[in-house]
Amino acid sequence: MIKALPTVLATLLAHYRRHPGQLAMLLLGLWVASALWSGIQAINATARDSYARADALFDTRLDQLERRDGAPLTRADYHALRQAGLPVSPMLEGEVVTQDGTKLTLIGIDPLTLSSDNPLAQADTSASLTHFLTPPWQTRVAPDTLAALGIKRENAPGATPRLANGKTLPPLILTPALPPNTLLMDIAAAAQLLANSEAPASGEQITRIVTAAGALSEPPVGLTLTRASSPASPGQLTESFHLNLTALGLLALVVGLFIVQAALGLALEQRLGMLRTLRVLGVSGRSLIVALSIELLLLGLIGALAGIASGVWLARRLLPDVAATLGSLYGAGVGQELNLPWHYWAGGLAVSFAGLLLAGGGVLWRAAHLNLLELGQMQAWRNGYHRQLTFMGIGGALVLSIAFALYSWLHVQPPGDGLVAGFGLIAALLLASALWLPPFLAMVIKGLTHLARRRPLIHWALADMQLQLPRLSLAMMALLVALATNLGVSSMVGGFRLTFLDWLDQRLVAPLYLNAPSTQYDDIDAWLAERPEVSERLLTRRSESTLLAINSPSNSPSNNASNSPSESRSTTLLVELYGITPGASLTPHWPLLATIKDRPSAWAAFDEGAVFVNEQLATAEGLSPGDRLTLSAPNGNITVLLAALYPDYGNPSGQVLMASHQLAARFQAPANSMGVVVHDNANVDALRDALTTRFGLSSDALSNQGEIKRIATEIFERTFTITRALNVLTLAVAALALLATLLAQARSRRQQLAPLWALGVPRAQLAWLNLAQLGGAALLTGLLAIPLGIVITWGLVAIINVAAFGWRLPLYVFPWEIALTLATAVSVALLAAAIPALRFWRASPRALLSEEAHQ
Amino acid sequence: MLEFRQVHKTYATPQGPLRVLEDVTLRLAAGQSLALMGESGSGKSTLLHLAAGLDLPDHGSITLAGHNLATLPEPARATLRREQLGLVFQQFHLIPSLNVIDNLRLQARLARRDDVAWTAHLIERLGLAGLEKRYPEQLSGGQQQRLAIGRALAPRPPLLLADEPTGNLDETTAGEVLELLLNLVRETQCALLVVTHSPQVAAPLDRCLRLRHGQLVSSAL
Repeated sequence: MIKALPTVLATLLAHYRRHPGQLAMLLLGLWVASALWSGIQAINATARDSYARADALFDTRLDQLERRDGAPLTRADYHALRQAGLPVSPMLEGEVVTQDGTKLTLIGIDPLTLSSDNPLAQADTSASLTHFLTPPWQTRVAPDTLAALGIKRENAPGATPRLANGKTLPPLILTPALPPNTLLMDIAAAAQLLANSEAPASGEQITRIVTAAGALSEPPVGLTLTRASSPASPGQLTESFHLNLTALGLLALVVGLFIVQAALGLALEQRLGMLRTLRVLGVSGRSLIVALSIELLLLGLIGALAGIASGVWLARRLLPDVAATLGSLYGAGVGQELNLPWHYWAGGLAVSFAGLLLAGGGVLWRAAHLNLLELGQMQAWRNGYHRQLTFMGIGGALVLSIAFALYSWLHVQPPGDGLVAGFGLIAALLLASALWLPPFLAMVIKGLTHLARRRPLIHWALADMQLQLPRLSLAMMALLVALATNLGVSSMVGGFRLTFLDWLDQRLVAPLYLNAPSTQYDDIDAWLAERPEVSERLLTRRSESTLLAINSPSNSPSNNASNSPSESRSTTLLVELYGITPGASLTPHWPLLATIKDRPSAWAAFDEGAVFVNEQLATAEGLSPGDRLTLSAPNGNITVLLAALYPDYGNPSGQVLMASHQLAARFQAPANSMGVVVHDNANVDALRDALTTRFGLSSDALSNQGEIKRIATEIFERTFTITRALNVLTLAVAALALLATLLAQARSRRQQLAPLWALGVPRAQLAWLNLAQLGGAALLTGLLAIPLGIVITWGLVAIINVAAFGWRLPLYVFPWEIALTLATAVSVALLAAAIPALRFWRASPRALLSEEAHQ
Repeated sequence: MLEFRQVHKTYATPQGPLRVLEDVTLRLAAGQSLALMGESGSGKSTLLHLAAGLDLPDHGSITLAGHNLATLPEPARATLRREQLGLVFQQFHLIPSLNVIDNLRLQARLARRDDVAWTAHLIERLGLAGLEKRYPEQLSGGQQQRLAIGRALAPRPPLLLADEPTGNLDETTAGEVLELLLNLVRETQCALLVVTHSPQVAAPLDRCLRLRHGQLVSSAL
């Protein structure tokens, strides 16, 4: 029979020559599913490659030394340490701007004093060390940074691109192991490039002094020592972001595969007669399945290749926004040039084929198991569908019980655990609802058909809808999933936006913020104290410490051992320390999530030395107000009372908040910034000018509240650009699914409508009835999507966000979003139904007579 | 060529078992023609399905070209159908996505017996010359049935099974199609089993049997 396979295959494929719409629908489904999935995977693969290079360069087993007084490091500090026999090495870091405006990180190193096993020293090519160390020096750069420098790869070696300030870089040498947007050169060359009129190249500049990890057991006098392991790698920090992207990609893949399954089901249903004839003509069932599988693989290959190519294009378009998001959210540098490993291409094909097998497997199974004598009868297929509805109902119940089990499991986990289980819960809820949709629609339509039995045309329309349901159900399931996700994600983003803006308003109480060199704050503070228009100076300080122990009293919610008087845990978690001035303008508004007793008590304790911690840290370590925290400090460990928890959106790190003066006293933390609160009607611009003139501050040292809010809001909006884009694309895919389904069955629909026309129902009325059928089904689907969307919002804000970012958001439900969901559902259905309805309306009587004759 | 021995067939229905064929024994030799008549529901179509190996008997044996269909696995029965049988149906069962010439050659290709000269001869004999590029829906009922007969005879099978081959056609067309069928059967010297309730169809055949309530009762003519 193998020899006859080409004939069988050609016969099967001939169907698409007569029904190109179905072929287009199949390929469209495969294409969009594969395109969105591979696009996201391309972004993830590129980002992971960037993280890997950044990890290799920066998480490099280098401990770092800084001055305890916050003053900048100088070459004198470095020499003093070298003279003391310490194995330290200087580094100079800064930013240069290319001619196209891109900011690049410039790192100057001294490879002679860096330990030889350090990747910075090893990030070498065949060029000799002498060329690197001596004029005209060399610039090591990764290939994906060349675009920012306006240089093509083939012209890169030896090129000396010009920067925005007119200076030229030392000759380029390609070093693929470097992270994107990073230039590496000798410290002397870096000093010349970073010199400007305010800070000429004196050779005195150093931004970091580093030493091999563990080389120093304790910091030298006057310096702080930060261990190499402290910074979390960008890969770890951004894991949740990429998991979110992957989940959206998976959703798009599933919705696309709904189209594929709908198209396959339709193509098979319409070929039932052909299958039966082929069987009767002597083609065995097994051979037929083999031929159908080959057809599936051929289509899969075309769809997957087209999808992957489009995915790469999509990734190129989205990558700049993703890179900006990751940069602003996590400080993670991501190259803007796609860098795709071989397993990306293989993985893309594998996922497309696996999806296709999943979508087509059921159809093949049904075809293989239908009775040969019934095969050609539509009724057999319909009977199969009724059985399928029962299976869907049972399957939906099973999946829902899985969702319930996941929820119960998550309920007993510590907050912040279970990101994957959270996504699993949402996926299970979506799947259960999608599985229940066709039985639900069938039940409602059956009920309505019974009620409308005295109105023949409506009765027919409902009965006809029941007949259409097997073909429409998959597209409706895709629509339900897309609508619910759209509502869920939109509500989450909308709620987050509201919360974030409130939070900004509460935290940014001063009209003017100062960011000056730390040595100037004392003078500025004294000067501002004399100004009559200034009502408060809100000085902030920053430092870091290690959380060493947590002691939870017996009545603390974080103490799980009920019969234990108190529970003590040890840890070695690096935390940020942030000092604020608890002034009268700040404390009434500063948002707090939980406190000991009440807000006034918490602030009173804070002023006396208690601390607050951010929600991320509380979630990660299971902290509650009333706990006692032991922190490492320069003069020995200190134990403080935790008085409250506060929200800290956008911060990937755990933070401990204390009064600014306490931070200075306990940790010798330098001043970091100052909020200047003024009386009503004070002239802020005049104060700003006076400050600038009096202290010779640079133009960017002072920012007003509006600017900071604008920048923060811009970052927020950009963070969700890709989420919104994928959300809309997923909905568009669902709309396409519906349109493609309707177009693919337009011909058989005309055959069903033609007899009614022959009986005297006007074409226009039939066309409107068609629209009403689809619009009604979509409205029902949209109504179901609303509670599902709200449950998804809850899952996102209460489970996914907490696990991914460490903060929980309030659940907002926006009536406008709900109305939009319903309107979208009906519009999508009406738009999709309009083309076939219009075609029917405009069909010539002769064509309709021909359709009728074929009944 | 084809032999039924004490064949029984029962279907399960919601109302209980429905006995469709009972103790049927018949024999059709190579080159012979046989008409099988009976009322609707008498079991004619079931008998034809069993003869084609589309269904299996509950009891008894059916031998086609020396093979007992009841003991053959499905792939082997498919091979027998492909190589030994031609089938013509009342509803034509043409492939709507293939044009006339491709429909005509389909079974011959499947059986690896595609013969260009024979196909061209069939096209002429069937009166379909000039219509080769048309699709089934663009043909009249008579033309469609002629095409279905041509498809069945294209691989020159030893046995042709026809289920009400003129049942869907008007009287004049039915006569033309029947004459064509019989002429082509004579030309190819294949055996013919026709299920019909038309005496006009049964009359020209070598033998005629009647089925009543699943049992062969007598020669009808």
